[in-house]
Amino acid sequence: MNFLLSNSGNGRQRMLQLQLLALLPVSIAALVNTGYQYLATLAQNSTLSTDDFRGRLARGLGASHESLGLFDMLAAGFAHLAPILALALLVGGFWERIISERRQTPMQPGFILVALLFTLLLPGAAAFGHVVFGMSFAMLVGRGIFGGDGKTFLNPALLGIAIVQVSFPSVADQHPLWSGLAGYAGSDAIAVYHRGGEAALSAIDIDLWSAFVGSTSGTMGTTSILAVLLGAALLMIERLIAWRLLIAQILGLLVFATLFNLLGTGAGASAMPAYWHLLLGSFAFGAVFLACDPVASACTNPGRWIQGFLIAALVVLIRVANPTHPDAVIPALLLASILAPLIDHLVIAWNIRGRARRHV
Amino acid sequence: MESFVLVSPGLETRYVSRAALLGRDYRGVNFELLCEQGDEVKAGAAVMRDVRRPEIRFSAPVSGRISRIERGPRRKLISLQIEVDDSQAVAKFEPPDNNDGVSIRNFMLESGAWSSLRTRPFGNIPDPAGKPTAVFVTALDAEPLAPDTRTIIDTYLQEFRAGVTALAGINDAPLYVCHAQDHALEFEDSGRIRCVTFNGGYSAGLPGVHINALCPIGLGGGQVWHIGYQDVIALGHLLLHGKPWLQRIISLGGNAVRNPRSLAVYPGSTIGELLANEVNDGPSQILAGSSVYGRQIAPGSAYLGAGQRQVTVLVVSASDSVDKTAATNNAVIPSEALEKLILPGIFPVPLMRALQLGDAERARELGALELVEEDVMPLSGACVSHSDYASLLRDVLDRLEAAR
Repeated sequence: MNFLLSNSGNGRQRMLQLQLLALLPVSIAALVNTGYQYLATLAQNSTLSTDDFRGRLARGLGASHESLGLFDMLAAGFAHLAPILALALLVGGFWERIISERRQTPMQPGFILVALLFTLLLPGAAAFGHVVFGMSFAMLVGRGIFGGDGKTFLNPALLGIAIVQVSFPSVADQHPLWSGLAGYAGSDAIAVYHRGGEAALSAIDIDLWSAFVGSTSGTMGTTSILAVLLGAALLMIERLIAWRLLIAQILGLLVFATLFNLLGTGAGASAMPAYWHLLLGSFAFGAVFLACDPVASACTNPGRWIQGFLIAALVVLIRVANPTHPDAVIPALLLASILAPLIDHLVIAWNIRGRARRHV
Repeated sequence: MESFVLVSPGLETRYVSRAALLGRDYRGVNFELLCEQGDEVKAGAAVMRDVRRPEIRFSAPVSGRISRIERGPRRKLISLQIEVDDSQAVAKFEPPDNNDGVSIRNFMLESGAWSSLRTRPFGNIPDPAGKPTAVFVTALDAEPLAPDTRTIIDTYLQEFRAGVTALAGINDAPLYVCHAQDHALEFEDSGRIRCVTFNGGYSAGLPGVHINALCPIGLGGGQVWHIGYQDVIALGHLLLHGKPWLQRIISLGGNAVRNPRSLAVYPGSTIGELLANEVNDGPSQILAGSSVYGRQIAPGSAYLGAGQRQVTVLVVSASDSVDKTAATNNAVIPSEALEKLILPGIFPVPLMRALQLGDAERARELGALELVEEDVMPLSGACVSHSDYASLLRDVLDRLEAAR
């Protein structure tokens, strides 16, 4: 682990350090909010059972169901986040070890980033089988077969979470898992908006501020826009992610959401204003940490603009047209990421045509 | 007997005991020696010529005795070294009476001044009968710690003007004088000679940037020529005085240098003697050129190259060298930091990938013909794969040129 602390000139290690550091605010927000969601749900509904592994761990750490102090939230959040992260690291390290022994190359530390991203994209009570399955898929199909860090064609964590969502749809939209309590049906904020509009959101105490700081239910790392912004600022200042791709996604979201507001039926998510699109669900997290993965996104500047607008269009379209998949960010990112090499290919072909037309 | 004591107002001069012509500065040239080891030569006298194009000659940078002719694999000339003597003899040249293109070309060929012209694409010495689309004079230097172009040109303004006017006469192509914003230059023949201002970051002084902006190289097979301001002054000196300008002004800089400053030195001076008592103790690396576009050179046997204006010595920390050897993964990570490190209109990441693969045709399409080694130096520094894009580009250019 000493690579995490060494401040050496190796660019690859420094990049990984920065990416992990950028995920730190999101991870802290995930701890606090997962614990808050768990305890708040218990406080509302005293008939729920807390006698599972996580409930016992939270109690063992000293989390009290009665008070909602910071320590209680952290302890309850830790009881949800830490086992998943530990398992994801274990599975990731296991496959990395196998791959590196097979290839006779040194182990590449990038699996730590994959495990952390994957964990933050899971609900707090994801089944351990899902974690093992998703991380194994991410490490082998997303990363190993392409040759490891920097050579992947899709973000491995994105691929892992996508395969988990496809294989076990409950992870994405059956809400008991999100607060970790069997028998409680929580709410995905976008699904709530789909059914009842803004009034339904305020009925479950979601306003602009709570959506911004992230005290809403959702997958662990994706709720706090504030924490995502902190991470994004670090990545942009260090010039690790392409600002064009990020801005294009946000601009695209504004454009397409407004387009549906004006032209749509006025019901469901087509009436959802752009700021709710931005604040609810995992769009912000996905836009910064998954879409802007420098390795798996378009590598030309015009391509970055195109990919950003494509992601935004797909997110809004799936949210409006497919209420059974209210969040839509993971499939949209996956599709856009698969298309990124094609976008680059077209941009380069156009660039070459311009060069061929010069008179010298 | 004419003497060539270095005279540059306001500048410290530094004499060395050895100077050399370097084979690697003249790409694609097969040298034929016009002298032998042990011969006494005058400064400015032709010592070598190109086998393929015998009109192109290379003249001795100093007067003295040819001490060593160093050859590498396949008898490729590495350097022709001259021990400076006290005779201070210079070769005399008769400036042409009339200023038509043919006379000026012949004068440049005879005096060896032609060898300081370069073509783009490829960075060769142009053919004496070649027809460029444009000629570029680089009259600014925006690299960090560079010598002050403005002072040098203003000091030798007469020679600079004579050189530019002569270059404008060698063919019908427009001649662009690229200069800094705070250094206005004007010429009477404004039809042919066009002064263009460049500003911006370190890249503002690269010929590649000027050519990309004014006469970009496409895939059509044409070429442009370019020449640095000190070589223009040298040409003007030959024209006005009939003898070579036997000095170059370089800057000594970098965080390992005790007293960074500009020096007037012989062309091709040995760098070891230039740096004597100038560098702090401890591990350091020597760059030919600036810290951004410079190329690392070995300390012992290095000489100033053609057109080189800087010697940079940087402190090396122990971890730097360890990490470069530890890097095993050569994947490019296309971070935002790579953008803007190359000429506008060229996509850095696809080009870097094509260069790593040695895909010459793809690199050509992506703009490799617009580039020479110095243009891709920053990519090597910023890329996590530690690939040497300069030598990768050179391989690709060699193959593209052979295929023409």
